[in-house]
Amino acid sequence: MTKGVLLYCFDTADTNYHKILERCVYLIKKNLQLEITVVTNYESFKKLKPLGFVNYKFVEPELGNTKNGKEWRNVDRHMSYDLSPYDTTLVMDIDYFPFTDNLKQFLNTKYDFLVSKDAYDLTDRNSFAYRRWSMIDMVWATVFVFRKGPKAKRIFDTIKYVKKYYAYFNEMYRVYAKNFRNDYAFAIALEQANGFINYDTLPFALATLPPDCEVVKFTDDGVAWQYNDQVMYTEQQDVHVLNKEIKNV
Amino acid sequence: MNIGELKNKSDLSYNIAVAKRNALEKANSRMIVVYNEHIFRADPETINLVNVLKENNSNFFVLDTNNNPVEITNPEEFLKTLIERNQESLSSYHQMAKTFEQRGD
Repeated sequence: MTKGVLLYCFDTADTNYHKILERCVYLIKKNLQLEITVVTNYESFKKLKPLGFVNYKFVEPELGNTKNGKEWRNVDRHMSYDLSPYDTTLVMDIDYFPFTDNLKQFLNTKYDFLVSKDAYDLTDRNSFAYRRWSMIDMVWATVFVFRKGPKAKRIFDTIKYVKKYYAYFNEMYRVYAKNFRNDYAFAIALEQANGFINYDTLPFALATLPPDCEVVKFTDDGVAWQYNDQVMYTEQQDVHVLNKEIKNV
Repeated sequence: MNIGELKNKSDLSYNIAVAKRNALEKANSRMIVVYNEHIFRADPETINLVNVLKENNSNFFVLDTNNNPVEITNPEEFLKTLIERNQESLSSYHQMAKTFEQRGD
């Protein structure tokens, strides 16, 4: 039974995601000690510094999606089932930094697909209560675990179907955001594939720093950030950092 | 107290309140434990339930965090796992709380 982490990294004109990937890979190796496969394109790959033993899969990212008026190359997550070389896979956004080994244990469950429904705002502003923006609970495709088999395949096939007809599903579920979001594609697919009833989830909220928080320090143990005139920090806690300027810290 | 001092006190209180909430959230995340391929929360409720059931049965059934039933065949080991993770989480929270005291709250 093979286990590993699958990451996606595509640089854009605005953001050098490969710099963020380098930090993420370092922390995965240090804290999760799992094999890593990076899905990327040659343009991003050639800028990477040597990362040690990492597998690469080259694909050309699907273009056209935007976020806040900027290019957003994030629509390839539905291919994870096909791209992962592992029996059990942890898929993470590269801006989710594992400062602990918490995630590793979820590769050892009997569940075929696990994803979190909640995010926790580290600035205590409850910025991520997106539930009010749609008819269904949103999931956070930032981190999810799947084990290859008929059930996971069915879920990913449904995700692909939802992606293909995203505008329709987006309207049907009255999703507020009109750009493509993996979070909603996954939420809709899970709802559909599980017969419109509850599905299994990761029982924790993803600690998240909102985009208006500037990361001022990044160490092996945690991050410090500035919001307004306040500087705060957290250590030994996995953190999802939404401000992409982290690459410069 | 002038307005500057008041702002400093207020900022400090805010910082400590948010840091405390984050530390508690961190502890809650760390309390999640996988045992026997199922996910559990090593919280007082689970620990007390397992402890009580263990008194009367050598094996028993509990629900995991997704409400799936799990047969526990080694209660001693399970309880030890839960307590270890619970205390590890709270020990970290306790250390953080000490720093709050030093900062003046």
